[in-house]
Amino acid sequence: MDSLFLEFFQNTGFYLCDYRNIIMIVIGMVFIYLGIAKDYEPLLLVPIGFGMLIGNIPIFKGLGLGIYETNSVLHYLYFGVTQGIYPPLVFLGIGAMTDFSTLLARPVLMLLGAAAQAGIFVTFLGALALGFAPNEAAAIGIIGGADGPTAIFLTAKLAPNLIGPIAVAAYSYMALVPVIQPPIMRLLTTRKERLIRMEEPRQVSKREKMIFPIVAFLLCCFLAPAALPLLGMLCFGNVLKEAVVTERLAVTARTSLIDTATILLGITVGASTQGDVFLTTSSVGIFVLGAVSFCIATAAGVLFAKFMNLFLKSKINPLLGAAGVSAVPDSARVVQVVGQQEDPTNFLLMHAMAPNVSGVIGSAIAAGVLWSLMAKTV
Amino acid sequence: MYGIEAINANNGWAISVVGITIVFSGLVVLALVISQLHKFLDLYENPRKIKNWFSRGKENDTPLETSAVIMVLTEEQKEIAKQFALLVRTMEDHFSLPRLLNLARISGVKNFHSNLNILLKSAIIFPDKEGYFCWDQDLYIKTISY
Repeated sequence: MDSLFLEFFQNTGFYLCDYRNIIMIVIGMVFIYLGIAKDYEPLLLVPIGFGMLIGNIPIFKGLGLGIYETNSVLHYLYFGVTQGIYPPLVFLGIGAMTDFSTLLARPVLMLLGAAAQAGIFVTFLGALALGFAPNEAAAIGIIGGADGPTAIFLTAKLAPNLIGPIAVAAYSYMALVPVIQPPIMRLLTTRKERLIRMEEPRQVSKREKMIFPIVAFLLCCFLAPAALPLLGMLCFGNVLKEAVVTERLAVTARTSLIDTATILLGITVGASTQGDVFLTTSSVGIFVLGAVSFCIATAAGVLFAKFMNLFLKSKINPLLGAAGVSAVPDSARVVQVVGQQEDPTNFLLMHAMAPNVSGVIGSAIAAGVLWSLMAKTV
Repeated sequence: MYGIEAINANNGWAISVVGITIVFSGLVVLALVISQLHKFLDLYENPRKIKNWFSRGKENDTPLETSAVIMVLTEEQKEIAKQFALLVRTMEDHFSLPRLLNLARISGVKNFHSNLNILLKSAIIFPDKEGYFCWDQDLYIKTISY
């Protein structure tokens, strides 16, 4: 009987526990705390945080429980991540909830979304310099796009072994947008610049809004066909929204479908962070590079807005450049908050949505470009 | 391999330059196209404008624009016009006047009856001849900046 108890004890989490599991469980709890108590991206951080708890329960290998064991339930759910199924579904939902009016009213703001993508390519160089393989460097660079689904999609295609750290880094930095961006925005702008008021945007017709996703899809996907799964779904979702006659499908896409995909994505990405797989020196490198990438993307957007002001008759508030990173709508909200700290009557949110949504398009194109350039190296 | 040596060995500089160039050109082309989109749609909706281009200079041309006269508004009326502009933005392109009036009432727009009348007189709000009304954004901008 003693041996039976001993055998059972040896299969419990208490016996199998490793310090790395404990570290990851603590990180998971921090994620849940940040999501619930601080309201930092709760829809992402809570599933990922709980997924970390699930993934770091020490288990006896061979029981078919762990996410990396081929016959486990978690492994089947994780299939949607490794095969890049969930991110396009999330993009479908994003498309069905995005209003491109401000972008259509002032298309020049789209350039801010393009400039902010510089962070991706600078970080790509940084990752190469740190000794990562080109495909891994490309996957790490995409963290600078501040777009979780895009980061997961590209990593699944180029460096599946890095999905855990890259996804966690991407979502962590997205959640920390209100902490990371404001100091950079203030550092790179003068008070006078932060006080600039934006011109009232022109009214956009329903027909324009209807045609935009089709034109954007055709143009961008002819240019970078590898962006098809993400941009295709984003634009399709927007067509459903703007067509009105497909309202029922649009409602499903922006509610049930995106929520289901987000739950499965979050929980499986969290569960993939098993201490023994996750806590490596390369993960630390990825987190450092991710932070650098995010800062460069923010700075590039702000500086490019200042550069544009040298030529524009009607000046734009350079704070809008920070919204070029595609953390929708958090970075736009940060622009509004920083702008209102200088002038409480200055409303920048609506204008900031333009570079924000163009950042989503830009990061999807960047992912497509990197995928097509790196496909041969994988 | 680390540092610059690793970047050179993996063709990093070229990949980065090509990558950012493609992303930038893609978004620049898209921005150019969508900046002209409303003009194309305007021509599609008012084909007479195309005809007018070709027949420009002929004496027997009939003027197309009827809203050449801009009504002068007081600062207060301009502010109220801006409030109406925000309300109209929440509605369809072709909207019903009673609904706009009701929205103005709920939103607490000052003297909404008389101010709506001013917008109608100034032709900023004009009938679409099918029982609904439209908002002339160009005329609105000209009027409030007059």
